[in-house]
Amino acid sequence: MSDAFCSDCKRHTEVVFDHSAGDTVCSECGLVLESHSIDETSEWRTFANESGDNDPVRVGGPTNPLLTDGGLSTVIAKPNGGSGEFLSSSLGRWQNRGSNPDRALILAFKTIATMSDRLGLVATIKDRANEIYKRVEDQKSSRGRNQDALLAACLYIACRQEDKPRTVKEICSVANGATKKEIGRAKEYIVKQLGLENGQSVEMGTIHAGDFMRRFCSNLGMNNQAVKAAQEAVQKSEEFDIRRSPISIAAAVIYIITQLSDDKKPLKDISIATGVAEGTIRNSYKDLYPHVSKIIPNWYAKEEDLKNLCSP
Amino acid sequence: MADQALEASQPVDLTKHPSGIVPTLQNIVSTVNLDCKLELKSIALQARNAEYNPKARLMFVIESLQRFAAVIMRIREPKTTALIFASGKMVCTGAKSEQQSKLAARKYARIIQKLGFPAKFKDFKIQNIVGSCDVKFPIRLEGLAYSHSAFSSYEPELFPGLIYRMKQPKIVLLIFVSGKIVLTGAKVRDETYTAFENIYPVLTEFRKNQQWYGSGSFSIGIGYTCPNPWIRNITNQYHCLYYFVFFHQL
Repeated sequence: MSDAFCSDCKRHTEVVFDHSAGDTVCSECGLVLESHSIDETSEWRTFANESGDNDPVRVGGPTNPLLTDGGLSTVIAKPNGGSGEFLSSSLGRWQNRGSNPDRALILAFKTIATMSDRLGLVATIKDRANEIYKRVEDQKSSRGRNQDALLAACLYIACRQEDKPRTVKEICSVANGATKKEIGRAKEYIVKQLGLENGQSVEMGTIHAGDFMRRFCSNLGMNNQAVKAAQEAVQKSEEFDIRRSPISIAAAVIYIITQLSDDKKPLKDISIATGVAEGTIRNSYKDLYPHVSKIIPNWYAKEEDLKNLCSP
Repeated sequence: MADQALEASQPVDLTKHPSGIVPTLQNIVSTVNLDCKLELKSIALQARNAEYNPKARLMFVIESLQRFAAVIMRIREPKTTALIFASGKMVCTGAKSEQQSKLAARKYARIIQKLGFPAKFKDFKIQNIVGSCDVKFPIRLEGLAYSHSAFSSYEPELFPGLIYRMKQPKIVLLIFVSGKIVLTGAKVRDETYTAFENIYPVLTEFRKNQQWYGSGSFSIGIGYTCPNPWIRNITNQYHCLYYFVFFHQL
């Protein structure tokens, strides 16, 4: 029951909506004001306990603004059982003929998603990597490049931009076949392309040993005390003139902290968890040893314990 | 070599090099057109100091395998290497000064002439000059990368040095923590010198000070920083305190 302006009665009258025919009818003179109205309520009923895998409230996945049409797709479905060859022969061909322009993009996004799943990265980083890849792809000059290395480098840059850097070795471990050198080159290339595109917008701070501390320590199963001590130690170590890669310093600090605790980890375990070679950890230990009393916090280890540390 | 020894012994011209340090040139790459088609096989067979391996594959930066179709020839004096191509173009590398590079290129052209080809000496051009020097103090690369982020690229995981791409003159500098600098990309010697003079004040700004009191740098107003290495190595804080007080009295 509602009011509408009826053109015959020339005034507002009571209007009846007839659901069976979809007509809006004036109750005084019987004039049909609107016919074939479209019902915009939901097609089917949804029950709270029934959602399971196919939640009928939504149709399709979330829209992806990076794809040209937002990720909409209409596909010819295969019927359940039987007549498989019929579909793959004619209908299937017709569907695949009209190729969507984003096929390479979708494949690349899938690869990035696989890599980020392997590393356990959050969706924010994955989306940022997708965005970076799209921006690079828009400039057509990246055709001949090694795709794996390019995607791995997009992920690496995304991690850095979100302040959760991953070492190149970690990215290497999930990228299929890209070497550290190739990823490094691809990363330089991407930074240059993004810089060309909109003038020096790529913001990436230098990596610090402290960024990786939490992750390396939890991979090794160190207790909270040790983790805190390691983080403090790495902060202090930045003041000293130690000419080593931050990852090597992190690994050496972990080695020292674990040697001081009851739960001594062998060099091999630290090497596997951090990706730093054992020889490098030993050399970094040699470099850190002169400053060890100033780096390790007092509450964690006393002077005598430090004396017990083996001299390199 | 003789002229280099002479340069080292002369005092540095502070009007031209206000920093007091002159970068030494390490490598000059030059090209010259011999202006005649060459037969690489016969050159390789006849010359004593040449190698030619047409089946050898060379990996370029763009990661595509290509044939390396040139003769590699070396001479002892000046100690240089030349790549000689069938088109008659030649690249001469390894010389330590511009005159030596030209002299070496002429020697190679002479060798080709002696082998029977009508070689000329057209369009000699120096393509790249590489220089290096030492500022003798450690540098805080991270601070430099942060403040000059538009020009610097510092990735300690990938390369231990900071890559500084100077715009004017267009030179690439590799800056290392130890204070050693490599300058490359110059076409004339003066570009190297100018680039170094431009970067020197920046480097002094990001000098890594030795830790006496545990944090940062202390500036002493009179502009004196202790250059004495043996003072720096004294860990006894008593001595350091004495020096600090001494400065205050000045």
